[in-house]
Amino acid sequence: MKVKFFGNIRDITGTKEIQINGAASLRQLLQQLCDKYGKTFNEKVYKDNNITGEVIILVNGRNVYFTGGIETALSKDDEVSIFPIVAGG
Amino acid sequence: MFGWTGTVLRVNLSDGTIKKEAINSKDATLYLGARGLATKIMMNEVDPKVDPLSPENKLIFMTGPLTGTFAPTSGRYVVVSKAPLTGTIGSSNSGGHFGPELKFAGYDGIIFEGKSEKPVYLWIDDDRVELRSAEHLWGKNVFETTDEILKETAEDARVACIGPAGEKLVLFATVMNDKHRAAGRSGMGTVMGSKNLKAVAVKGSKSVEVAKPDAFLEACEDARKKIKEHPVTGTGLPTYGTEILVNVVNQVGALPTRNWRDGGVFEYAEDISGEALREKYLVKNKACFGCPIGCGRVTRIPEGRFKGFGEGPEYEPGWAYGASCGVRDLAAICKANFICNELGLDPITMGSTIACAMELYERGIISREIAGMDLVFGNADAIVELTRMTGMREGFGDKLALGSYRMAESFGHPELSMSVKKQEMPAYDGRGAQGMGLEYATSNRGGCHVRGYMTSPEILGIPEKLDPLVTTDKAAWLKTFQDLTAVVDSSGICLFTTFAIGLAEISSMLRAAVGWDISDEEVLKAGERIWNVERLFNIAAGFTPQDDTLPLRLLKEPLPSGPAKGKVVELDKMLPEYYKVRGWNEEGIPTEDKKAELSI
Repeated sequence: MKVKFFGNIRDITGTKEIQINGAASLRQLLQQLCDKYGKTFNEKVYKDNNITGEVIILVNGRNVYFTGGIETALSKDDEVSIFPIVAGG
Repeated sequence: MFGWTGTVLRVNLSDGTIKKEAINSKDATLYLGARGLATKIMMNEVDPKVDPLSPENKLIFMTGPLTGTFAPTSGRYVVVSKAPLTGTIGSSNSGGHFGPELKFAGYDGIIFEGKSEKPVYLWIDDDRVELRSAEHLWGKNVFETTDEILKETAEDARVACIGPAGEKLVLFATVMNDKHRAAGRSGMGTVMGSKNLKAVAVKGSKSVEVAKPDAFLEACEDARKKIKEHPVTGTGLPTYGTEILVNVVNQVGALPTRNWRDGGVFEYAEDISGEALREKYLVKNKACFGCPIGCGRVTRIPEGRFKGFGEGPEYEPGWAYGASCGVRDLAAICKANFICNELGLDPITMGSTIACAMELYERGIISREIAGMDLVFGNADAIVELTRMTGMREGFGDKLALGSYRMAESFGHPELSMSVKKQEMPAYDGRGAQGMGLEYATSNRGGCHVRGYMTSPEILGIPEKLDPLVTTDKAAWLKTFQDLTAVVDSSGICLFTTFAIGLAEISSMLRAAVGWDISDEEVLKAGERIWNVERLFNIAAGFTPQDDTLPLRLLKEPLPSGPAKGKVVELDKMLPEYYKVRGWNEEGIPTEDKKAELSI
């Protein structure tokens, strides 16, 4: 699946997007990403076994809050987007 | 009085008289200040059916009780009048340093009446207030005008002025202060131009007294700490500015593309994003008076045909010139935005009007001969050149100066104007965020996002996450957002604080500043009162529930792609519920009971 990073998440990952395989749920995906990008990513995105309050995670454009949260099922054609919480107007 | 200076200037431009009047303390309590108080003055003194560009319309600059105090983001003032673009009550607020300086000079606001025979500007130097000739400034842009006035008055004065767009009565002209800050929507600069008022310059040496200094300091420090610690106001906005929204709104499928024709996904969103702006053109961020956030962007295009230096773009102009016009060239977008600031134009309406013209052109309704160029979506040069031509009312720009509705109507296709009450909607597609659709339909100043920013819960999850694709509870949420925003706009602080603080913190600052014995609930009730008075002004001006609607495209054309594919705005479900939660009758008119409850 395709995983996209935005805002200052990019400063942590050093890349805009990656392809990743083998994650059947958002939890599995975030665990893989934490292994890949280390402590800073872990603290920003996935803490205490859940999504932190500092990010917005979308799967195919839908906020995972409405699709099962951390247990949201993923398949290989999905696109996951990870944003810092942002605002404007 | 505390929080207030207690004095308002009344300037009659027809006969040149200037009076100092005591502020109406009862109205100041009921309507808080700034947007609320100025609207109440309009209601008291101006016939809502007045021609907005006639001498009988009034133009009010007003601060709030927190403006110029230690409160975080206390740089705000508002300009209120009847709006020429919409015919509704118009109000637009701005940051920078002008508002605080007005209070330091000893004035809460200025009421302009009549029309000057020749161009003038108002010079306020503490107690000395005078009208001066502006004939030598007429025709000069915002930056030239500001520099010239600073030379003539005091180098540390603050200037709010119009550019050529306001002089030439472009219907969406801005009032610009501190060169780059804009009271941007509603055409307040157009009203200023109609009165031959080029500028207001002010220099003050006083300070704003508060009722309970210790409690006020404590309330302000609490608010400031929360603003600094919140990831949005403490990190996101200072680092990326409001343009950071481009990618997330695009990903949820709500970034209106090519005059809203192609749905809510722009394939080049990354090119015009806050991330791209930071990487390519950002020089530094910039803060208004007393602001711990600093969302402003100082930007430079170092070379090429769009070379330039200025501020912005914010998210809305970035979208209006970008996704809405199908343009992916960020340098061109920056340049067009710079020109808006120089000439005094609202970039949301300007970009949206060009986008509308592009659709008319691609449909063969506007010819190349009329447009004077190949006006296809994606033409980066067109957005820059047409912005300049509109500000100067040259060629096809003279047509665009009417805004998208009147322009499209003149070609027989008003339905292609993406506007509500003739003001262009901003950068969130209501089909992908239902609550924003309801906000556009009900905003008292026409298509507008900052009267009830439902994007916050629907897309950003602040303060709670609401599903953007459903209509459930959206009416009640929107009412609360609209009422709270009226409180913020009337207090004299920035709406962006509300990502980190809420009613409790704002009420605490108000109580300590003014010495009001008023509960949080009563403060919110004041917001509701303000909303209802604006509504009553519009009804008296001739607006009906039939005007609380959206372009047919949003009601009938399902989104073609993205996460919200197949959705239209379900306004017929939400609007009756909205009237009900507002305590209005089925015709959308505030009932006698509601007016009595609100002491209107």
